[in-house]
Amino acid sequence: MSAIYFIFGPILLAALLALFIKGESPLSKYIALVLFIGGFIFNINLFTALPQSGYLDLGSYLSVEQFDFVLTLQVDQLSVIMLLLTSVMLLFVTLTSWSMKNQAAYFNLLILFSGPIMGLFMSTNLLWFFIFWELTLVPMYFLVGIWGAEGRVYAAVKFFLYTHVASMLILLAFFLIYKESGTLDMTLVKESMLLSPVLIWWLLFIGFAVKMPVFPFHTWLPDAHVQAPGPISALLAGVLLKMGAYAMIRMVILMMPEYSAQFSWVILALGLITLFYAGFMALQETHLKKMVAYSSISHMGLVTIAISTLSFSGLSSALFEMVGHALIISPLFLIAGFLHQRTGSWQMADMGGLMQKAPYLSAIFVLSGLAALGLPGTMGFIGELSILISAIDVYGISLIVIALASMLGASYIIWTFRRVIYGEMGEQIAGSDFKMPKMEFIALVVFAALIILFGLMPSLLYEIINPAFSQFSSLGGAL
Amino acid sequence: MISAFMLLFALGLLSLAFHRTPWFKPLVIGGLFVSMSLTLGGYELGLFGFSSNESIRLFELILEIVLMALVLHDDEDITITQTLFLGAASILLLQSDTILSFVIAFEAVSIISIVLVSYIKTADQAEGALKMFIAGSIATGILLLGVAFYVMGGGLLMEAVPSESSLFSTVGLFIMLAALFYKLTIVPMHGWAADTYALVRHSHAAILSGVAKTVVVVAAFKMFEPFIVAQVTLSVPLLVVLAVVTMTLGNFMALFQKRIAKILAYSSIAQAGYMLLAFAAVQSSYASTGLLYMAIAYIFMQSAVFLLLDTLRKHYDIVTLDDIGGLAKSNKLLSFLFSVQLLSLAGIPLLAGFLGKVVVFYAGVDAGLWYVVLIALLNSALSVGYYAWIIKHMYFDEATNSKTLFSNKMVLVAQFILLAGTLYFGLFASSVFDVGMAL
Repeated sequence: MSAIYFIFGPILLAALLALFIKGESPLSKYIALVLFIGGFIFNINLFTALPQSGYLDLGSYLSVEQFDFVLTLQVDQLSVIMLLLTSVMLLFVTLTSWSMKNQAAYFNLLILFSGPIMGLFMSTNLLWFFIFWELTLVPMYFLVGIWGAEGRVYAAVKFFLYTHVASMLILLAFFLIYKESGTLDMTLVKESMLLSPVLIWWLLFIGFAVKMPVFPFHTWLPDAHVQAPGPISALLAGVLLKMGAYAMIRMVILMMPEYSAQFSWVILALGLITLFYAGFMALQETHLKKMVAYSSISHMGLVTIAISTLSFSGLSSALFEMVGHALIISPLFLIAGFLHQRTGSWQMADMGGLMQKAPYLSAIFVLSGLAALGLPGTMGFIGELSILISAIDVYGISLIVIALASMLGASYIIWTFRRVIYGEMGEQIAGSDFKMPKMEFIALVVFAALIILFGLMPSLLYEIINPAFSQFSSLGGAL
Repeated sequence: MISAFMLLFALGLLSLAFHRTPWFKPLVIGGLFVSMSLTLGGYELGLFGFSSNESIRLFELILEIVLMALVLHDDEDITITQTLFLGAASILLLQSDTILSFVIAFEAVSIISIVLVSYIKTADQAEGALKMFIAGSIATGILLLGVAFYVMGGGLLMEAVPSESSLFSTVGLFIMLAALFYKLTIVPMHGWAADTYALVRHSHAAILSGVAKTVVVVAAFKMFEPFIVAQVTLSVPLLVVLAVVTMTLGNFMALFQKRIAKILAYSSIAQAGYMLLAFAAVQSSYASTGLLYMAIAYIFMQSAVFLLLDTLRKHYDIVTLDDIGGLAKSNKLLSFLFSVQLLSLAGIPLLAGFLGKVVVFYAGVDAGLWYVVLIALLNSALSVGYYAWIIKHMYFDEATNSKTLFSNKMVLVAQFILLAGTLYFGLFASSVFDVGMAL
C-alpha cells in the first residue's frame, strides 16, 4: 500500500462520509478506528523498512517542474517516530471520544485531520509541507468550535487566526529559500546556498515557535486547550505542538545548523522564559484545565531548551521529552475534561475528594501528574534529567536552574492533587457520577502503562530515537 | 471566422428574440460546449488586431465553463442575453493586441456590464447601477484622455503597446492604466465597486466581480506588460503602493461589515490588490503565470460565492451575518459549498485560491519585493478573519429561523461546475504552468 493513500485517502473518505453519514451514526467511528489502526500498522512497516541512514523513498506525485512543486514523500528516522506518535495519539483520541455527541461529523473531521498530518511528516517538499501544515488547521477549527466548552467559538477563531498568521511567515521563508537555493526539496537545501539566511532563520523560527508554543507566542494555546473537548486537547498537545517541534528541529536546527548555533542563545532564553513563566502561571491557576495547559507549555519550554543545545544528546532528549509530553499530558487533559463534563465546573475549589469517588481514575491522574513533575520511575524523570544533563553539558553548570522548574512543577501538581484528588469531598464531586466509558478507560490505562514502561526502560525508546540524529553527531566540532 | 466569439455573439443575437422559449437555455448550453471545442481546436477570430496564444486559450476555456455555470444558475431569462454578449466581448478583449482593438473591446465589456445591472427592481439596485454607470463613464473618459495623450505623443493606435515611447505617450499610457484600474477596483478608484457589488442583484455581482473584472485584469496584463517592464523605475513603486493600499483597505473594510454581500464586495477589492502585486512583480518570469493562476482561481470562487449568496437570498432571504446563522444545521450542502469557496478565497490549501496566491506571491519574492509579499501574506491571514467568521456563523451559531431544504437542480449543477474548477486547480497546477509563461 502506497503512502499517498494514507494522505489523500482520508480526505476523500471524509468528504464521502460527510455526504452519506449523519447525526449519531457510529459508522464513521468504526471506519476511523480501522483507518487509524491501518495507519499504525503502515507506519510500523515504514519503521522496519527504514535504511540505516538517510531517507526511505515513498514516491513522488503531481510534479510541476517549472516551480519545483512536487509531492515528494520521503521518511527518515525522525519522521517515522513522529508518524508513530501521531498514529498512537489518533488511536487514543478515537478511543477516548467513543461516546462523543454528534459522532458522524466528529469522526469525519478526525479522519480529515489524519490525512494531512501523515502528509506533513512524510513530505520533503517545502511547499507541500506547508500545504499539509495549513490543512490541519481546518478540521481543528471545527473540532474546537463545535465540540468545545462555553468559549469555544472565540478559542477556535483565535487559534485559526493566530497560527495562520505564523504560517504566513513560514511561507515567506520558503519562498525566499526557493528563490535563493533554487529548490524546494528540504533534503537538498543547505544554508550555504542562502543569500539572506538570517532573515530566513528568524521567519522560520518565529513561525514554528508559535506552534510549539514558545513565550511570547503562546497566548492562543491556553484558550484552545481549555475550550477544546478533552480528547481534542490531547490531540493538540500530542500532535499539533509536536508539529511545531518537529519543524523546528528539521528546518531550523538540521537545515541551518550554523545560524542556529549563532542564535542558540535566543532559543535558550525563550525556552527558559517559557519554562518558568508557564510554571508560575500554572501555580497561580485555579482553573483545572488551564493549569494542565500551562504545565503543557512549561514542558514545551523544556523541549525548546533541549533543542537549543544543538547537540546529539540534547536533540535525542528533546525527542524523548516530546514523546513523553504527549503520553503524560494527554491523560491529564482528558481527565480534566471529563471532570468538567461530569461536575460542570472548572474550578479546583469546587472539587476535592475525587479519590474516594473514583479511585482508578484518580490513580491515573496522580500517576500522570507525578510523571509531569518528573518522579523517578516515570518517563517525565528520564526526559527532564537527560535535558538537564545535556544543557549543563553545553552551557555549563548555571543551567542547573532547570531543576528549579522541576520543583515549581512539583508545587503546582502536588497542590492540585491536594485540591482535586484528596482533601474534603466537594459538593460537586459528591453529587456526580464518575463512571467512565470502558473504551476511554482502556486508553488511559494503556497510556499510564507506557509512561511507566518508558520510565523504567528508557532504552526501549532511546534505541529508536538515537538513530534519528546519528548524522548530526557526525557533524562534530562545534556542534 | 468560425470561432467562439462568433458563436457567442450569434447566440446573443438569437436570445433577443428567443430568450423566453423553453428550448433556448439548452441551446445555449450546447452552444457553449461547441464554443469550448472551438477554443480547444484553436479556431481564431482571424481579424486584424486580435490574436491568441495558449494561455489566452486556456483562460477562454475557463471563461466558457464559468459562463455555463452562470447560465445554468440564472432562472430569469433576461440576463442570458447580457451574459452571452459579455462572454463574446470578453473573448474580444482577451484576444486584442493593438491599442485600438483593446479600447474598443474594453468599452464593449463596460457597456454590456452597465446594461446588465440596469435591470432594476428595487431602489438599492438603482443606486448600485447608477454608481457603476457614473464610475464607468468616468473610466471611459479617462481612458480616452489617455489615448489622446498617447496619440499626441506619436503613438500608433494600430500597434501593440510599445516598450519605448515619447514622454506624452508614456503619460498617456499611465492614464490609460488608471482608467483600467477603475474596472479593477484598485484603491482609490474602488468606491463604486463596494456599493455596486453589494447592491445590485447578486447574480449580476457574480458576473461583474467574477467575470468582467478577471477578464479585464488578464487582458490588461497581456497588453501593458511590456510598458510596465520598460517603465520599471516608475511603475513598480507606484504599483506596489497601490497594491498594498488596495489589499489592506479592502480587508480592513471587509472586517467591519455586517452584510454578507458587502463583505464579499470588499474581499473582491482586496483580491484585486493581490492581483496588482503580479503587475508590480512584472520583472519575475513567474508574474504572468501567477496572474493567470490567480485569475483562473478567482473567476471560479468569486462567481461561486456571489451565485450562492443569490440563492441564499432568494430562497431564505439571507442578507446579514445574523441571517445566515445556523445554516449548516438546515442545509448542509449549501453551507459546505459556501465554506469551500470561502476557504479558497482565504487561501487554504488544496483549493485553487491557495495556489493562485502562492504563485503571485512567489513572483513578488522573485522580483525582490519580499517586504511587499510579507504585507500581502499578513493581509491574507487577516482576511481569514472575515471568511472564517462567515463560516463560524453558518456552523457554530444557532439557527435563527427554520429553513426548508433547498433543491434546485440547475443551481446545484452550476455550483458543482464551479466547485470542480476550484478543486481541480487546487491540486493540478501543471495545466496552468505549462501555458502560463507565455501570457
